Amino acid sequence: MLLTILLAPTLGALALLALRDDQHAWVRRIAVIATSVPLLGALYLATHYDVARGGYQHEVFVPWVASLGIGFHLGVDGISTMLVLLHALCGFTGVLVSYSIKERVKEYYLFYLFLITGVFGVFLSLDLFFFYFFYEMAVIPMFPLIGIWGSDVKEGGKVRYSKEYATMKLTIYLTLGAVVALVGLLWLYVSTGARTFDLPALQQALAARPLDASLQRWLFPLLLIGFGVIAPMWPLHSWSPIGHAAAPSAVSMLHAGVLMKLGSYAIIRLPMTLLPAGAQFWLPWLASLCVMNIIYGGFVAMSQRDLKLIIGYSSSSHMGYVLLGLACLTPVALDGAVLLMFAHGLMTALAFALIGYFYEQTHTRYLPDLGGLAHQMPFIATCGVIAAMASSGLPGFANFVAELLIFLGGWDRYPVQIICGVFGVVITAVYMLRVVRGTFFGPALPAFAHTRDARSAFERLPYLVLVIALMVVGCWPRPFLQMIDASARPLIEHIMPVLPLAAPAEALH
Amino acid sequence: MPWGLLAPELGLCLWILVMLLADLAPATRKPQLSWLALGGIGFTAVLLAWQQPLWARGESFQSMLAVTHFSGLYKCFFTATAAVVVIMTRQFQRHLPAHLGAFYMLLFTALLGTFVLASMRDLLMLFLGLELLTFSLYIMAAYLKAEAKSIEAGMKYLILGSVSSGFLVYGIALLYGFAGGTSFTQVQNAFTYALTVPATAYAGMVLVLAGLGFKIAASPFNLWVPDVYEGAPTPVVALLSVGSKMAGAMALLQLLTGIFAPIAAFWMPLLAALSVATLLYGNLGALAQTNIKRLLGYSSIGHAGYLLMGLSTGSVAGAEAVTYYLLAYLFSTLAVFLVVIAASDAVGGDALEDYRGLSQRSGFLAAVMFLGLLSLAGVPPLAGFVGKLLVLLATVESGRLWLVAVGAVNVAIALYYYLLIVKRMYLDAPRQTQPIAVPAATRVTLYVLVLGILVVGIWQAPFLRWISAIR
Repeated sequence: MLLTILLAPTLGALALLALRDDQHAWVRRIAVIATSVPLLGALYLATHYDVARGGYQHEVFVPWVASLGIGFHLGVDGISTMLVLLHALCGFTGVLVSYSIKERVKEYYLFYLFLITGVFGVFLSLDLFFFYFFYEMAVIPMFPLIGIWGSDVKEGGKVRYSKEYATMKLTIYLTLGAVVALVGLLWLYVSTGARTFDLPALQQALAARPLDASLQRWLFPLLLIGFGVIAPMWPLHSWSPIGHAAAPSAVSMLHAGVLMKLGSYAIIRLPMTLLPAGAQFWLPWLASLCVMNIIYGGFVAMSQRDLKLIIGYSSSSHMGYVLLGLACLTPVALDGAVLLMFAHGLMTALAFALIGYFYEQTHTRYLPDLGGLAHQMPFIATCGVIAAMASSGLPGFANFVAELLIFLGGWDRYPVQIICGVFGVVITAVYMLRVVRGTFFGPALPAFAHTRDARSAFERLPYLVLVIALMVVGCWPRPFLQMIDASARPLIEHIMPVLPLAAPAEALH
Repeated sequence: MPWGLLAPELGLCLWILVMLLADLAPATRKPQLSWLALGGIGFTAVLLAWQQPLWARGESFQSMLAVTHFSGLYKCFFTATAAVVVIMTRQFQRHLPAHLGAFYMLLFTALLGTFVLASMRDLLMLFLGLELLTFSLYIMAAYLKAEAKSIEAGMKYLILGSVSSGFLVYGIALLYGFAGGTSFTQVQNAFTYALTVPATAYAGMVLVLAGLGFKIAASPFNLWVPDVYEGAPTPVVALLSVGSKMAGAMALLQLLTGIFAPIAAFWMPLLAALSVATLLYGNLGALAQTNIKRLLGYSSIGHAGYLLMGLSTGSVAGAEAVTYYLLAYLFSTLAVFLVVIAASDAVGGDALEDYRGLSQRSGFLAAVMFLGLLSLAGVPPLAGFVGKLLVLLATVESGRLWLVAVGAVNVAIALYYYLLIVKRMYLDAPRQTQPIAVPAATRVTLYVLVLGILVVGIWQAPFLRWISAIR
């Protein structure tokens, strides 16, 4: 099953190579098939995860390079199942939204499907080598995707950030982060002495013979910063809003919806799982840094006037909650963090898809130029209000459940940071309501008289899928939380008992 | 006499004569010479394959040359490189003046030089092989007699090359004075059993390293690189960049893990320092380039830095990593240079700006270039990624984490200037739109190279097994 999910987009990309450049209809059909197969697979995984058993399930193992301990090892636990589902949803709806791409269609879907493969690979890999392999593979297709099909960020008719600048900045930031993480991974590999890249095997080896606490304190920040760049951790976030703003809609959806989650997922999966003493030492620092994410990102979002920049900064602000949830090191907060990754992914994907829809018709996303679009496009406006409500954490949406869990779970550990976090919700409400008012409400503008709503079921499909997913998880979070908890609780229990052990180790040095 | 051990070399000698005679062919038949040259490469490959059962026995030839698994593996690499260079020359030949046959002959003498180096067991053979290779390259670099830049390239390469040969000979002389002989066994024994190694012996080693540093374009012996890369005919640049660098790195590998192994503690930090200088020189220098051949020249210096990094570990893992790196580098660099040759006439030059919108004129050439450059940058799932990973891993194992950090940061720097080329090919609008025709031979070669980049990058196990048999 995991192999099907991973290989379907790749096979789709290979099938595209066989087509002529002008067979647009077939290119799109293949892309839809190549992303709907993983979506079905992800739904299967989500319904067939055995909560009682926990741990990694549906494993696939093929020995790859025995001399170095590399194995092609796939598997999912509750956390990665949620993220696979998220990615499958975003990838599928992204293809539908991309129907508006009219030039160099084949190349577009090629890069898009490679991006999809890379991200699935990261979520499914249980081998450090392949984890990194897919991680880098996911970053590179962003370069042409944003550079060719993206748009400059304009303000008052002048180019504020060109798409070339945005895409180069994004690629270099993420690659620098990745190589920092790579140094950390290689150092970890060598210092465990187990000569294996296999994650479960490393977990066992480290459980039997944990690394020296001082070494863990050196290794942890390498991995935290390396993967934190994509999370995006303040102050390394500046590539992200610009990148979101310059990217074409579907790529913004994937980028904000899924790629940023690669960072927080990687932090959970690698440094927190493998380096408990490092996590003990460094995560309180992260808890304070991510308050900066929340508050600073929120205020910057408030002062933007380009819609995509607003959502971009709001994403980096909301990812602060995810990081806060990780840093709390309580099962409830971690459950919340993972659920928020899922919820925020869907919400941002929805927001970027909507902006893409009316940008294509109005040719502007500059807030002062917009207004009254609810007259022309009631369906889009309804979805927009839903996205704004979800983003502000209103009950009924998955975001509410997730944020509430983070606040409740973290209260005992970091009350000050949690209070700041709650304040962030107010900031979100301010700019989200302003966006909704400025875009959809007010008198109908004559300039937009030609615009039309998404009428056919097919046009509405991507938005409906995302809205329904958000509401289902928001109203009935129990099965999803059980699944996440089955993996999050053991992880926290693994990290926390280390606390008394860390102290004597420190005294020795 | 076990002549079978020399079969590939003798085959090459035969083909050198054949190509020389073939130069007498009438001018109208000259374009067909590439098939004759390819036949010679094929002939050599057959002889290598026939000889393959002998590799494992590691027999030596009068203690001057030895046929081992190591030498056999590298001879395969060199033969593959030469085959691609022939295809490149075929694509490039309308620029070459008369004496096309002599050009191919020089390719075969260069190949013979690398074969001698691969099998060497004596410092004299080191000198012989290196000179055979370098002399061929001096002439080939200056082959475009009508172009001042080509003459300049040949001249600069000749002068700096001669100086470095001087270093090498002086180093060999000092080592001879220390060991009383030039065979590897004698020198290695002298280092192993000497109570105190005299300063002259260290000086000899440093001079030999300097001579080889010139070949692989290591700092500070790389000043010739940008000008020669810019001026020389592009197939020669590819041969310099791949064949010559591979030969130098291979010779270093043999010497460092062989005769200089007893004084590893001396040269390991030296090479680590050289590696940092080379990495920074190459990658920072490449940032400002506007000519694609010069840019690739600087980037090849950067790659020399990674090779030195792998060598500086002095470990088996490091040696294997260097070999894997070279294998990946071979496929990627040859693919990039073949695209440069195939596109240069149509795009009108070698300036980076000429590559604007290449993807819309030939999606195939742009895609191959994209993959080749990303592989050089070390992006998975391409070959270069595995090479870099193995080098970094070996360096972490050797405990020099600061060196790993420098190497890792340079990955990002290199990616930046490679992406600048990608940006021009994919993001910018083309100046003219008519499609670029790619001849069948070039197209097939490019497919093979891309396949190599992907297979070496994804399915590492068979190559690693193959390489690890060299010990």
